Amino acid sequence: MAAPSESALEGFPLILGKQDDRTLTQSLFAHVERKATLGWWALFSAALAGTLLLVFAIATTLYAGVGTWGNNVPVAWGFGIINLVWWIGIGHAGTLISAILLLFQQRWRTSINRMAEAMTLFAVMCAALFPALHLGRPWFAYWLVPYPSTMGVWPQFKSPLVWDVFAIGTYFTVSFLFWYVGLIPDLATLRDHARTRLRRIVYGIFSLGWRGSGRHWTHWRAGYLLLAGLATPLVLSVHTVISFDFAVSQLPGWHSTIFPPYFVAGAVFSGFAMVMTLMVPARKALCLEHVVTLRHLENMNKVILLTGLIVSYGYLTEHFVAWYGASPYERFAFANRAGGPYAFIFWTMLFCNVLVPQLFWLRWARRNLWVMWVASVLINVGMWSERFVIVVTSLHRDFLPSSWAMFYPTWVDLSLLFGTISFFGLLFLLFLRFVPAVAAAEMKELNHELAAHPAEAA
Amino acid sequence: MTPPPESLSARTIVPPSRSSTGHGEASPYGREYWRSLAEREGLLGAGPEFPEGAEELTSVDRRDFFRLLGASLALAGAGGLSSCTRPPATKVVPYHRVPPELTPGNALHFATAMPLGGVATGLLVTSREGRPVKVEGNPEHPDSLGAAGILEQAHLLGLYDPHRARQLKQRGSPVGKEHLLEALTMRAARLQERRGEGLYLLLEPTSSPLLQSLRERLLRRFPKARVFATSPLSEANRAEGARIAFGRPLQPRQDFRGAKVVLSLDEDFLEPRGQKLSYARHFFETREPGAGMSRLYVVEPSLTITGMSADHRLPARGSDVQRLAYALVRRLTGLGVAPALEPLSQAAKSFAATPGKAHRFIDAAGADLARAKEGAMLLAGPRQPPAVHALAAAVNYALGSARGSSPLVRYLSPPAEVETGPSALRELAADLRAGRADTLLVTAANPAYAGFADLELGRLFREVPESFYLSLYEDETAPSCSFFVPALHPLESWGDGRASDGTVSLIQPLVEPLAPGFSEAELLSALIGAPAPTYQLLREHWRAAREDFERSWEEWLREGFIQGTAAEASAPEPKLERVAEAMREAAIRPEEGGLEVAFAGDYKVHDGRFANNPWLQELPDPITKLSWDNAALLSPRTAEELGLETGELVRLSYRGRSVEAAVCLAIGHAEGTVTLPLGYGRSGAERTAKGAGFDAYLLRPSDAPWFGYGLSVERLGRRRELAITQEHWGMEQRPLALELALGELGKAEERLSKLRGAEATLHQPVDYSGEPYRWAMAVDLNRCTGCSACVVACQAENNIPVVGRDNVRKSREMHWLRVDRYFEGEPDSPRAIAQPLACVHCEAAPCEYVCPVNATVHSDEGLNEMVYNRCIGTRYCSNNCPYKVRRFNYLHYNREKSPTERLAMNPDVTVRARGVMEKCTYCVQRIERKRIEARVEGRSIRDGELRTACQQACPSQAIVFGSLNDPTSRVSELHRDGRRFDLLHELGTRPRTAYLVRVRNPNPELG
Repeated sequence: MAAPSESALEGFPLILGKQDDRTLTQSLFAHVERKATLGWWALFSAALAGTLLLVFAIATTLYAGVGTWGNNVPVAWGFGIINLVWWIGIGHAGTLISAILLLFQQRWRTSINRMAEAMTLFAVMCAALFPALHLGRPWFAYWLVPYPSTMGVWPQFKSPLVWDVFAIGTYFTVSFLFWYVGLIPDLATLRDHARTRLRRIVYGIFSLGWRGSGRHWTHWRAGYLLLAGLATPLVLSVHTVISFDFAVSQLPGWHSTIFPPYFVAGAVFSGFAMVMTLMVPARKALCLEHVVTLRHLENMNKVILLTGLIVSYGYLTEHFVAWYGASPYERFAFANRAGGPYAFIFWTMLFCNVLVPQLFWLRWARRNLWVMWVASVLINVGMWSERFVIVVTSLHRDFLPSSWAMFYPTWVDLSLLFGTISFFGLLFLLFLRFVPAVAAAEMKELNHELAAHPAEAA
Repeated sequence: MTPPPESLSARTIVPPSRSSTGHGEASPYGREYWRSLAEREGLLGAGPEFPEGAEELTSVDRRDFFRLLGASLALAGAGGLSSCTRPPATKVVPYHRVPPELTPGNALHFATAMPLGGVATGLLVTSREGRPVKVEGNPEHPDSLGAAGILEQAHLLGLYDPHRARQLKQRGSPVGKEHLLEALTMRAARLQERRGEGLYLLLEPTSSPLLQSLRERLLRRFPKARVFATSPLSEANRAEGARIAFGRPLQPRQDFRGAKVVLSLDEDFLEPRGQKLSYARHFFETREPGAGMSRLYVVEPSLTITGMSADHRLPARGSDVQRLAYALVRRLTGLGVAPALEPLSQAAKSFAATPGKAHRFIDAAGADLARAKEGAMLLAGPRQPPAVHALAAAVNYALGSARGSSPLVRYLSPPAEVETGPSALRELAADLRAGRADTLLVTAANPAYAGFADLELGRLFREVPESFYLSLYEDETAPSCSFFVPALHPLESWGDGRASDGTVSLIQPLVEPLAPGFSEAELLSALIGAPAPTYQLLREHWRAAREDFERSWEEWLREGFIQGTAAEASAPEPKLERVAEAMREAAIRPEEGGLEVAFAGDYKVHDGRFANNPWLQELPDPITKLSWDNAALLSPRTAEELGLETGELVRLSYRGRSVEAAVCLAIGHAEGTVTLPLGYGRSGAERTAKGAGFDAYLLRPSDAPWFGYGLSVERLGRRRELAITQEHWGMEQRPLALELALGELGKAEERLSKLRGAEATLHQPVDYSGEPYRWAMAVDLNRCTGCSACVVACQAENNIPVVGRDNVRKSREMHWLRVDRYFEGEPDSPRAIAQPLACVHCEAAPCEYVCPVNATVHSDEGLNEMVYNRCIGTRYCSNNCPYKVRRFNYLHYNREKSPTERLAMNPDVTVRARGVMEKCTYCVQRIERKRIEARVEGRSIRDGELRTACQQACPSQAIVFGSLNDPTSRVSELHRDGRRFDLLHELGTRPRTAYLVRVRNPNPELG
C-alpha cells in the first residue's frame, strides 16, 4: 500500500491509493467472504462466554428478583440505570454520524457510518435490556406501553419513565431502519458474489430484491435522506428524555436544567469514543486502512475534543449552580461527590472526561493510533463513572442523613455490566463476519466524486 | 421450612363452637369454648395414650406407608402449604353454630396479660378467626394504660415460632406425656419418703398467685425441698435496698405525675416494657413545655432511652455512679436542706470525691433536687448496689417525695420473689456440686446459658440423676436435663399474675396450643400429686381465694384483671443509721487497672429469651441502631485509645475467660468502660437467633454480675460487618429533628413559622376542606423517647416482612416506620434526639408524578396510597421521596414464612410479594374499619376513636392521628401549635405529618 501522503491544503486523503470500483469491492467485501480467522474465533469465543454469563445473570435476576443486585433504599437505582444510560449514550455516535453528518454533507462519514450505525443498534439493544430487568416485576413491563387495557388503566404520562419507552423505542426503530436501508445495496452485492446457495438465498432475502436500477437508486437516496432527517432530532431527543429521568426529580444532583444538553454532549462524546475503540483495531484487522484513514480518525478525535469540552463545561456549570443556588442540600451533594466515599469515582470521571480529551489539542496525539485508542477506552470508563456519580452518589446521601447508606455492586451487577459488553462485542463480531463493515456503495460513489472533484474532498 | 405436625395445623382451624358441648359449666355463650379446650388439653385422663400425632407414626403398615408416600409426593407439589391443606386428624365440626360474639371477618379482642420478670402486663389481643394477630396494651390495666412495649408486642411471634420445641423428650429421645407423668409421680413418691430432701426447683420469678400457691403446696408436701427463683436481669438490689432502709424487702413504685426534678442513677425508667409503660405515660405528662415542666438528670454508663430524654446527662462508669450518689448526699446536706441526711453524709465522706465535670453536674442537680422538695425524685437502677437504693430511699424521704399525704415514691410488698440474683444461683450451684440434688425441676429461662459463667450450671445439671426442664425452646439448658418438657406460650395457656402495683391480671389463652405443651402449673401440680389442667387449677385457686368468684369470673376475664386487688402501698420512714452503715460497708472499690466491664440487658432480646424473635432481632436498637447483633459498646475516645473502630473483632478477656466480640462505637458512652449487652450468641435450637452477636454471659461472674474491672481487649485483626441501620449521627446543620431550650421557645417562634405553612407554588393546591376527613398526624418530639414500640406495632399491624441480617446490611430493612436518632454536641456529652418517621403523606407528593403506571396515587382524603397490584417496581418513587420512607421488596421476603408464621398475618392488610414498593398507609385498614362502624351507626368517625397502630402502642403518647377538617380534633390542635414544623418544609411537599419541636428544660447553672 502506498505511504500516506498529505498536502498542506487538502489535509490527509479520505481514500488512500488509487482505487476503482473493483478494488473497492474486493477490499471492502473481503472480510465477509473469506473464512473467519483464528483471531476472530478467539474473540468470538470470549464474547460468547461473556454473553453466557449475561444470560446467567439475567436468569438469576428474573428468578430471584432484583434483590440479587446491590440496590437498596436509598440507592434504588444502581448499575441497571447506569448501564442503561451508558449504553444509550454510546448509541449516539451512530445516529450522529449517519444522519447529522450526512445532512451536513461531511463526506468523511462515509467510511465509518456503517460501523457506527451497527454499534448504535447493538448498544441500544444492550441498553434496552435494563429498563425491563431493573423492574421489581419485569413480567409487567408492558404496562409502560399505552395499550387499550381491559382494566381501563393507562400509563401515567407525567412520568419520564413512560417518555423513555417512547424515546428508546423510536430511537431503536429509526436507527435500525436507517442502518438497514443503507445496507441494502451492499447486501445485494454480497448476494451477487455469493459462492454458496445458502448465502445466495439469505442475502437474497435481506437485499429485498435490489437490482441496482436507476429507479432503485433514486428511491433509495430519497428514502435514506428522509430517514436522516427523521433521525436527526432523535440524536437530541433520546438523551434529553433519558436525562429527564433525573432532571424531573427533585433530588439534589439530579434536579438540574443543564441535564438535557449536557447528557446529549456526553452521549456523543462516549459514542465517538466507543467508535474509536472499535474502529482502530477493526480497520487494521479487516485491512480497511485505505478507506478509514488517519483523516477519519483525526476528525473523530476533534469531535471527541469538542464534546469533551462541552461535557467539562457541563460539570463546571453544575458545580457553579450548586454553589450559586445556595441550597444546602445541593451544595452538599456536590461536595459529597468530590469528597465523599465515592470520591475516587468522581476523580476518575474528571481525569478521563476532562483531562484525557485535552490530549487531542496536539496533532501527534490525534494521529497516534495507540494514544487515541487508550484515550478512547479511558473516555468510555470516564463516561461510565459519570453515570455512576450521577446515579449512585446523588442517591446515597440525600436529604435526611438518617437514611444515608452505601451501595456496593454484587456479582450479578458486575456480570450484567461485563455481560452486556461481551454481548455487544459478540454482535459486533457477527456484524463484521456477515455484513460489510464499510458502506461499499457509498464508498464507490465517494471515490467517483473524489476522482471528479478532487478539490472538494475536504 | 419445617411443616408442623398436622395435628398442629389442624387445631388452629378448629372453630370455636366445636367443643362447646359436654364440658365445663353450662354457659350459653363462647366463654366455655376456652374452658373446655383447657380441659381437653388436660394433663391426665382425658388425653390420648400417645402424644399428639404419634399414632400416625406408630400405626403405619406397608399399605399406609405407600399411601402416605404417594400423598406426600403429591402434596409436595402444592408447596409449603401442603401441610395446611391436609384435613385435620381429629374430628372437626363446621361453623354451623357460630358463637354470638363472632362475625367472620371481624376481629375479637381478648384481655390477657404477659408475665415477664415477675410482672404481668395487661394486654388486649386481637384475634381473627381464632388466630391472635396483634398484641396491644390494655387501656384499663394500671401498668400498661393502653400502651405496649416492644417485648409485649413481639411475643406474639413467639407463639407462631416454627423453631419452638414441640416434642417431649427424655435424654434426647421422644417420649409420651404419660412417661413424663409417671416419672414425676414416681419421683414424687420417692421424695415424699425423704420429706423432699434432694428436690431442687429453679423457677422463673413469678407474681402469679396460682403458681405461688402451688409452690406453697409443694413445700408443704416436700418441706425439705429447696426452691430458687432466678432472673438474669434480676432486680433484687431494689428490694435489698429497701430491706436496708425499711427492714423488709419492698418494691418501690413511682408516680411521676407530680415530679418536678428527677435524677436517675443508672435507672432506665422509660424502657418500654412492663410497669415502665405507665412511668413513661406519667413522666411525659410533666414534660409539657411551660412553667411547670419537669427536669430530668441522668447518670449512666451507656446511653439509654431515658438518657436520650434527659435534660442533662452525665456519662459515668457503672461503679462511679455509686460515688456520685454519695457525692449527691454530701451536696444535699451541704445545702442544708436535708439535715436528716447527716449520718449518710458522714458515711459518704471518704468516698465522695468526684472529678470536676461530674462535680458541677452533681452540684447543680443536688441544688435542683433540693429546690424541688416533694417534687424531687432520686431513682436508682437495678444494676446499682443495694446501698444506692437505700440511699435513694433516704433522700426521697428527706426531700419529701416519699412521705406526706400523696408521696411520689411509695413502697409495696413485692409481688414476685425478690431473691432472684446471683446469690440464689450460687447457693443452688453449691448444693448441686455437693451432690445433694436428686431431682431438679427447672422452669427459669435457660439458666445453663444465662447463669453465671463461674457456676457452670449446665455441667452441674447434668450430674443430677433426674432433672426436668420446662421451656419454649430446646435451648442451651435442654441437653443438660434428663427430661425436656415443651412449654406452652402465654397466649395459649391459662394463668394469672400481678401488675407492679399488685393488681391481679388473668391470662387467657387465645388459641388452642399449637403444639402439645405443659404449663408450669401443670408440672407443679403433678409433682404435688394432684395433677390437673391449668384451667381447673386456676379456677380452683380463685374460687377458694375470692367469694365473688362465681359472679365475677367472666367479668375478670373480660377486663383482664381483678379490680381492687392492688397492694397496699405505703411510704415508711427509712432507718438512716442502717442506710449509713450499708453505705460504709458497700465499699467502693478503688480505681483498679484495666477497663471496666458493664453487663446490660438488651432492649430487644431482654436476657436472651426473645432471641429467636425475628421482629426483635431485626428491630434496630433504639440507641446504636444495630440489628441482628450485639456488640461491645465503648465510647469513641476509648475506642481511639484502643485503636478500635466499629465492626472490628476483638477478644474480650475477663477473669480468665474470654469471648470474641464485635466492637461498636457508642456515642455518649462513659470513658474507660465497655458495655456488653446480654442475650446473644445463642447456641440452642433457636435457628433465628443463631449467629447473632456474641455471648456476654460467658464473661459474667456471679460475684459481680453488673460491673467489674480488669477487662482486657485484644484486637483480632478481623472484622464483622454489623447491620447498622443508621450510620450517620449528625443532622449536617439541617433543620430535621428540632430541639429548643425552654427559654428559647418564644424567640424561635418566627424561625419555626418559616418551617410550616404554604410554600409558593405555581400549582393550585388541591382543596380538601370539602371532604369529610382530612387525615393527618402529629408527632410530638417532646414526648418521643425513641423506644421503638411504634416500629414493632407497625410491623405487626401491617404484615411487614423481616429481611434478615444480610439484607439489613444492604439497607433493605422494610420497616415502614423508622426511628431516626441524631446526636449533636460533643461526642463525650452528646445530646440525642429521636424522630419517628414514616410516610408523611405529602399533599404534593414527589413519589406520585414519577410513577409510570399510576401505582401510587392520592385519595380524596389526602392519603398517599400504594396500589400493590399495579406496582411494577421501578423504584423511581423511592428515589424521588425526600424522606426515603418507601420500602421495596427486593426479594420475596414472605416466601420463607412457615405455615405457623403465616397465621400471624393481619388479614386486613395485603401480604406483599417480591418486586413491589410499600410504605406507611396511615393504617388505612383501620380507617376503613372505623368508617364502616361509623356508617352503620349513621355518624361520622369521632376524634380519638380511630388510632393508628403506632399511636396506640406509644407509651408516651407522642403520636396523634385524626382529621384536620375537624378543627376541634387533637391533631388539628397540634397542627396549630406554636411548636409545629414540617420536615423538609422548603421542598413544598406539604406533608400531612407534622412534628412538634422537642423542648429541653436545661438548668441555667449547667448552661
